[in-house]
Amino acid sequence: MEKVFEIYIKTTPERLWEAITDEQTRQKYNFGVGVSSDWAPGSRYESVHPQAGISIAEGENLEVEPPRRLVQSFTALWSDQVKDEGPSRVTWEIEPVGSSCRLTVTHDQLREGANDELFGGWPMILSGLKTLLESGELLDTPGSLRYSGASADAE
Amino acid sequence: MDEVFKALADPSRRTLLDALFERDGQTLSELEARLPMTRFGVMKHLKVLEGARLVTSKRRGREKLHFLNPVPIRLIHNRWVSKYAEPWATGLSELKKDIETKEQPHGESV
Repeated sequence: MEKVFEIYIKTTPERLWEAITDEQTRQKYNFGVGVSSDWAPGSRYESVHPQAGISIAEGENLEVEPPRRLVQSFTALWSDQVKDEGPSRVTWEIEPVGSSCRLTVTHDQLREGANDELFGGWPMILSGLKTLLESGELLDTPGSLRYSGASADAE
Repeated sequence: MDEVFKALADPSRRTLLDALFERDGQTLSELEARLPMTRFGVMKHLKVLEGARLVTSKRRGREKLHFLNPVPIRLIHNRWVSKYAEPWATGLSELKKDIETKEQPHGESV
């Protein structure tokens, strides 16, 4: 099964690449969860929830071509049900269009009828990424820090 | 955003989105076979949906596969619905704090 998500964001490919690969920035729109890696092709990455200290996802960086293309294997770890789904693949593609970028996230190599938790969060994550890059503001939408419990703890 | 509402205003286009929601990544021929629409009708409606970014397509060899892209609907949700969800989130995080404070009999409130 394959899912495709597309969004236009008024930013540069370089800023978009950084927002996807920088751990602190990623936390702001990715349910409070960052991603850490050295981003070398073939390296591993992992996403750990900073408050709960539990691993949310992990995988390998299969192709790393900044600032245009990132292909990762993706294994969800947040529950036994999603762990049972095994690895799938996520491809990030950045294409400049005028003064904006088209960002396409393709989530494929999913089992037919796969648990929709695996890919159901993408619209929230991508819309949050758009708001962050276009307004520079800390978000209060689902998928943002507020919904991860992080900002509530910080207050 | 006008394009999204315009695209969603037509029942045939909503049926097309339903068909893609059910099974993503279909070709024009597959959609035509499943829906009570002519090939021309499906093409015309897909064009409007693609213009509104509600449908995105990928070439796979000689085939063009169509995918439902829910992101524009999420942006509409964020603009209005999320603003109403905000007090709930705040309320719940305060409830969490409240309960956690009370659960520690000798704990000092943070």
